[in-house]
Amino acid sequence: MTNALAISDLRASVGSIDILKGVDLQVPFGEVHAIMGPNGSGKSTLCHVLTGKSDYSASGSILLDGEELIGTPVDERARKGLLQAFQYPVEVPGVGLEEFMVEVGSARGIPADELERRVAASAETFSMGNFLDRAINDELSGGEKKRSEMFQISVLDPRVVVLDEIDSGLDIDAVRQVAEAVEELRSPEVGILLITHYSRILRYLNTDKVHVMMNGRIVDSGGAELAEELEDGGYEAVRSRLGIDAPRPAAAVVKADPFSDLPFEN
Amino acid sequence: MNPQLQAAFDQSLAGVPDWVAALRREGLDRYAEQAMPTQKMEHWKYVDLDFDLDDLAFAMEPGTPLPAGPYVDALGSVAATATVVDGIVVGIDGELGAGASIVSFRDATDADAALLQETMGRHIDLGRDKFAAAHRAFAGDGVLIHVGRSTTLDGPILVDVQATSDAIASFPHLTIVLAENAEASVVVNYRSNDDLTHVAVPQVEAIVGDGSRLSLISLQHWGRGTTAAVHEKVILGRDATGTIGEVGVGGKLARLDLAIEHIGNGSSSELIGLSFGDQTQTHDYRVIVRHEGKNTSSDVFLKGAVEDEASSVFTGLLRIEEDATRTSAFETNRNLVLSESASAQSVPNLEILCNDVICGHGSTVGQLEEEHLYYLMSRGLPKDRAERVLVRGFFEEVIDRLPVPEVADPVRAVVHDKFATAQAEGRIG
Repeated sequence: MTNALAISDLRASVGSIDILKGVDLQVPFGEVHAIMGPNGSGKSTLCHVLTGKSDYSASGSILLDGEELIGTPVDERARKGLLQAFQYPVEVPGVGLEEFMVEVGSARGIPADELERRVAASAETFSMGNFLDRAINDELSGGEKKRSEMFQISVLDPRVVVLDEIDSGLDIDAVRQVAEAVEELRSPEVGILLITHYSRILRYLNTDKVHVMMNGRIVDSGGAELAEELEDGGYEAVRSRLGIDAPRPAAAVVKADPFSDLPFEN
Repeated sequence: MNPQLQAAFDQSLAGVPDWVAALRREGLDRYAEQAMPTQKMEHWKYVDLDFDLDDLAFAMEPGTPLPAGPYVDALGSVAATATVVDGIVVGIDGELGAGASIVSFRDATDADAALLQETMGRHIDLGRDKFAAAHRAFAGDGVLIHVGRSTTLDGPILVDVQATSDAIASFPHLTIVLAENAEASVVVNYRSNDDLTHVAVPQVEAIVGDGSRLSLISLQHWGRGTTAAVHEKVILGRDATGTIGEVGVGGKLARLDLAIEHIGNGSSSELIGLSFGDQTQTHDYRVIVRHEGKNTSSDVFLKGAVEDEASSVFTGLLRIEEDATRTSAFETNRNLVLSESASAQSVPNLEILCNDVICGHGSTVGQLEEEHLYYLMSRGLPKDRAERVLVRGFFEEVIDRLPVPEVADPVRAVVHDKFATAQAEGRIG
């Protein structure tokens, strides 16, 4: 099976701070992989580096169906088929969702009638019919924004889909809907990488593989059993099994209290 | 004062009714006593005037009219069209039907003249600046639109205000009077060719009677050699509604001094506008919204963009008088600066003399947001295209709300073209 996405030794930094410290990962076409990791492990950075955000300096290799993306600008990566559903999609005032899809469709050379057909079909699938004439993400609820992200991706010929915290901030019904939407995106022509902090969405999804990210690296990969271990024992269980030290909170400078040893209350 | 100007002025009074001559003489006196505005004056500090009105001849005869303007097709069937060339009314096409009339001042009937005598020049303060006084002194003609009680016009009126004569000043005038419970839409299109040097000093006075509704939109497309100083005043009676649109894309320097006066209880207004300057254009908007009646409301929503070395100024004054209880007034001015050498100033002021009011104002000056660009590009839009989408979106919130929706498409097209041309010529990005 060919890999939709093959990442090797991916490193990224902002200024002098290294965030990704050599990520290796393959997502074959037709599969859904989950990356789980605690806060600060580099998950969102990985998403932005895959998408090509210019805030990061990145090295290593990101292959989309064998084609190198490092050094390629954001828009070109998207046209090659790498699309991200953002954790915090921005509201874009004055730009209608359907109008935007038409514009992007034209930039990607999708014929107008074909795009219209896809918009109608995807709007149906992701229940976005009422939002097509509204400005992008304008006054949408958390769950509606996530659906809008997946709606947009499904219209635009995805080959690699990156879903950043697609389940965060949602109630359980919305998580279930989002999971169903992910299943809608699944196809033999697409590889899906789902980044999440919580394991609950995995209950409603048929993930092919689960990867655990800590401190800028993938530290473990496995099947459903890994998700269960995380569900039961949290990240601490994985840490202790792998012998990884718990991270020290970098910013928490513990101030010595000069009165703390006094034998009376002050 | 320049003796030639005085002579021309005297000559222009020949055959003019006494009451008009008296008004114009008063204008000339106030003109003579005021200095040309300079940047040392607070109200003109962002604007560099490179001429003296005194050195200019004023138009006595109209030049050759321009071909049909950009809004004729979009408007489709209009109630009437008035064509004003260099301040002189050269044609009025169309009849307004029973209860309404549109005439030039020169052709005014006795009844019209009586109406004009009540209104003309009564509302724009001659001391406001030298341009206001110059207009009173030198405006020899104008368009009067009168819509009688309980009359609704069948379609908008287009007032096509052209400048065509080189190296002169013109003083186009429009008076709109709506009696009680009347309704009218008026589209004013200001235009001139780019190769013309001209100073236009138009005035628009609109008196909206009790229970009447006026939609009034100005579409400013002056050529690049035209300097314009417009005074516009909208006076709202009891339960009257004014929906005002201001679109400014042309001119070398285009200044608008607009006052909306909520005199009658229950009157309300909305001002929706945009300006977009490129190259070395200056757009200077002064907007005064005053609430005097009780239970009145206003909403100002203006957006401006500047690119290249263009500059824009918005100065807003929201004044709520002591007895204007239960006033609701909002003012928003948003500016987009698209080039490093472009500049935008936004100066909102509030004067609230009454406690029982709901007021809000917001003013921003910023660039295209990186996060927005990133988002649009992450779907596959190249940067220049993403920028165009964002500029379009920026203006769309205004264009979508313009009074007289028929003009929206041409306005959209002009604004998009302005940015796309700058991009294509490598002036942006």
